[in-house]
Amino acid sequence: MRAEAEPLARRPGVGAAAMPAGTASALPRPAARATPARWRGALGRWAPHLVLWPPLLVSVLHVVSFTLYTTWISFTPSTLLPQYDWVGVQNYVSVLNSRNWKIAYTNLVIYGCGFVLLTTALGLLLAVLIDQRIRAENLFRTIFLYPMAVSFVVTGTVWAWLLNPGIGIQHLVRGFGWEGFRFDWLVDREMAIYTIVIAGAWQASGFAMALFLAGIRAVDADLYKAAQIDGAGPWRIYRRVVLPCIGPIFIAVLVILLQFAIKTFDLVRALTGGGPGLATQLPTLVVYDLMFQRGLLGRGAAAAVMLLLSLLVVLLPYFAYARWRRRKEARHG
Amino acid sequence: MITIHRRGLLAGAATLLAAPHLARAQGDKGQGDKSQGGGPKPRLTLISQWSAGSDGAAITALGRVFEEEGGVWQHSPVPGFTTEMMNKLRADILAGNPPAASQLKGPEIAAWSRIAPTVDLTELVDAAGYETVVAPDLARLHKPQGKWIALPLQIYRTNTLFVSSKAMAKVGATELPTTWEAFNTLAGKMQAAGITPVANGGIRWDDGMKFEIALAGISPAAYRRAIMELDDDALRGPEVLAAFRQLRRFADWMDPAVAGQHYSVFLPRFIKGEMGMLMMGGWAQGVIRHNGFDAGDYMIGQAPVDNGRPCFVLNADAFIFWRSKEPDLQAGQRLFANLVMSKRVQEMYSKHTGSIPVRTDMDLSGEGWSEGQREASRSLGEAVKANQAVLSLAHNMAQSNQLSAAMIDVLTEFVHNKAITPEQGRQRLAEAVEGAR
Amino acid sequence: MAEANAAALAPGVRSRLGRAVVYALLAGFAAFYLAPLVVVALNSVRTAQDIGATSVIGWPRALALDNFSRAWGSYCIAQSCAGIAPYMWNSFLLVVPATIISTLLGALNGYSIALWRFRGDNWVFGLVTLGVFLPEQMKLIPWVLVLRELGLTNSIGGLVLIHVVQGISFTTLFCRNYYVAIPPELLKAARIDGAGYFRIFWRIVLPLSPPILIVTVIWQFTHIWNEFLYGVTFTSGTQQPVTAALIALSVSVSEAPQYGVQSAAVLLAALPTLLVYLFGGKYFLRGLTAGAVK
Repeated sequence: MRAEAEPLARRPGVGAAAMPAGTASALPRPAARATPARWRGALGRWAPHLVLWPPLLVSVLHVVSFTLYTTWISFTPSTLLPQYDWVGVQNYVSVLNSRNWKIAYTNLVIYGCGFVLLTTALGLLLAVLIDQRIRAENLFRTIFLYPMAVSFVVTGTVWAWLLNPGIGIQHLVRGFGWEGFRFDWLVDREMAIYTIVIAGAWQASGFAMALFLAGIRAVDADLYKAAQIDGAGPWRIYRRVVLPCIGPIFIAVLVILLQFAIKTFDLVRALTGGGPGLATQLPTLVVYDLMFQRGLLGRGAAAAVMLLLSLLVVLLPYFAYARWRRRKEARHG
Repeated sequence: MITIHRRGLLAGAATLLAAPHLARAQGDKGQGDKSQGGGPKPRLTLISQWSAGSDGAAITALGRVFEEEGGVWQHSPVPGFTTEMMNKLRADILAGNPPAASQLKGPEIAAWSRIAPTVDLTELVDAAGYETVVAPDLARLHKPQGKWIALPLQIYRTNTLFVSSKAMAKVGATELPTTWEAFNTLAGKMQAAGITPVANGGIRWDDGMKFEIALAGISPAAYRRAIMELDDDALRGPEVLAAFRQLRRFADWMDPAVAGQHYSVFLPRFIKGEMGMLMMGGWAQGVIRHNGFDAGDYMIGQAPVDNGRPCFVLNADAFIFWRSKEPDLQAGQRLFANLVMSKRVQEMYSKHTGSIPVRTDMDLSGEGWSEGQREASRSLGEAVKANQAVLSLAHNMAQSNQLSAAMIDVLTEFVHNKAITPEQGRQRLAEAVEGAR
Repeated sequence: MAEANAAALAPGVRSRLGRAVVYALLAGFAAFYLAPLVVVALNSVRTAQDIGATSVIGWPRALALDNFSRAWGSYCIAQSCAGIAPYMWNSFLLVVPATIISTLLGALNGYSIALWRFRGDNWVFGLVTLGVFLPEQMKLIPWVLVLRELGLTNSIGGLVLIHVVQGISFTTLFCRNYYVAIPPELLKAARIDGAGYFRIFWRIVLPLSPPILIVTVIWQFTHIWNEFLYGVTFTSGTQQPVTAALIALSVSVSEAPQYGVQSAAVLLAALPTLLVYLFGGKYFLRGLTAGAVK
């Protein structure tokens, strides 16, 4: 990575005024102590690099090296411990052919779509409700936001209680006298995946709400004024004025939720353990299971790489969009 | 870690004061170099997942014995899932710092012994004359290259049938069913009486265990060939099909609402007679007792075996010993190995957990043993003689984790998806074995 | 500011019926969000017998307040009968430095990327952001190797390192997006006055930062506090963070769980993060509003 060098000077528009001591200024000398100004000048030039680069390098290295390492392992016959022989795409073939992986991927699509849609919808609805200049806004906001503070393991465990037909909501409602009441998704192969959607949405929709609310509150007051002068009703104002303004936030919410969905792990482990049967397997569970339960590091790494690739499918369009937007802004501003 | 260490030191100091204690060590021959001789004070670092309830109590008691014998006991429990414990072990091995001993079982002992050096315990085992009192199939697992590197600690029978006394009373039955036919008839009666015939949890291993109990009961010989030897003909044979049919019956008799829960959550319903029969390893005795129910609340015995002879589906916990350069750890390993092989420790341990001792030469008629333990222990001896002692699939005794997991995938899916026919189940099982091999 | 104006002029349902619907919806959702908390809170004051005899959802028959004292100070977890208190302390030892360091480094990173253009800055930013998305399971083995090389296995220090490095991705993302919005004129003026990298950061950027730093701190604090996989793998015994202790309580392999004590422990362990949201929630939202997410 040969990117460094004179950060300031390169910044377009800011120019050379930046660093008082140009490149011509003297190198630090032993005598520098005698002339504090000069000493400070040299330090001023080098210290930023010393501070700027290490953390950046560490984070970049961590991402790049860990990803490359996993990719490498995915082409080896590693079992319990890493091994470094080459076996080609064998691991990928066997993962792609396994029932578990197919089920897990299908589930991810169902769960991913369900979770993102439900959470976004809930988040937006809550944000709009909160925006109605209600009383006790703080209280409601805290109630909706607090699930963010709870660990997935706890969320999973408690929802497992609530959703279990034998002890949870179904049991409770039947106890009130409605004997025919049924809510047994948790143990229903077809529906179990939606219980994860519910628990996930419970946890994350507050965050979506916070983002949307932030967006709504940031809408330019003049726009409201204009719309109100035009005699637009609340519904119309939300649709015509607010929604377009929070478009970028929509994208941010969708991306955050999607990566959340793809990374979901603890929640499922505590809520259904992947069951009933294999009904709620997700790719992260398969990766973990292959690597650490079955002792097949190579195969697990192949699954992880494919999971990462599916993340990139989501992220690359987002980055492209962000870049496009930046360009556009740069042109306009 | 620090507190355990300190506790160990205190206990160690206390035992040093009571020096005569030291001479009382078990299996005397192999350990003449204990701390009296000015040698290093034995120390043991240990990883296990036993931390709570009867398991926790048992391992704590074992630690106390170890300390009484002059050792320093450093147990790091990794509570929760087995995989987390293995991750910890893997991390320690990769860091070049494995514990002196760690909990590990079945064919994984052989697999893990290939990635890090282990201690050859053969001399100690020979000195204690231990090999002759261990079931041969079990011994084989603990000496993968012909050398003992691990020691079994306790044995459970997975094909144990618990029947709720209240449920039995409700249908007027008094005898445990001994064949699958009798089992099915009784289950039918229970269902007619409004009882859920099969009490179960419904997590993976639980589902897998139902299948192994069915197959072992239908034909121990077929179990051996299909599950332990992975013989393709046996896997596609009629006994396996029959076992899938029986598994489907179990599934139809379970309360679908309990899927995904640990079986212990439903023990109260079982004891109350709302659920009839629980097929679970002997460890359930310890759990039931821990929950405040007593032996009169249930009947216990071997799960049905159609040929009428004792059959024992074996699950055993064990410790593997990792090589260490430090003399105090080596001394600790010798002390620990001798303790684990000793009658005293095996008795103490099994009484805590409800298991049976590994040693087949122990007398369980004394106080503190339950009827269930006595029966299981007798059954083990007889099953070994009749060549009907087999290794558990669901508890990773028969095959490596990889193969077990692939097979249990099929079984758990079969239990929860009634659209899969027994014929399809059998085929998928055979295919899973092929794919994972 | 804009916020207040917008609120004053915001479109809103005015009719009486409409208001009633709004409040009814809010109350309904509040019930949905509170239900799990209520269940746990009720269980935390029920006895094991009570729960065992009925179910995990129910009204306490008698108040068993000692659940809390047991969970806090005397319940046996992983062989050490000191409750969750020592584990809570471990978690604090881990969370506080990891949060502070990762936030500070993230702020510096964000500042560098956002305001000091250099060749490849977009790539650096893209890669750092990618770190947010790497699944944790994938990084477990590499971390084992790294910690081994650094001699940090089995220590809180190792965990701090992991959370700092992984946290930087998040904190950099947040801070960079926030700092991008700082008007260039402000910086230009500072540079003309002769301010350098640190002066600008200290005098201009940092004073503008509290909203985003609060968001970052809250985010990091809760994530690290609730993290489990690394905590269990890289520490042992009584060095483990509180999530490991909770797992020890809840997934005890062969026992009927002690729901009452467990629930009390869950509440106690969640208290720090809950408090953070309770008192910081307002600022969290304000920080987001101020442009954390773009």
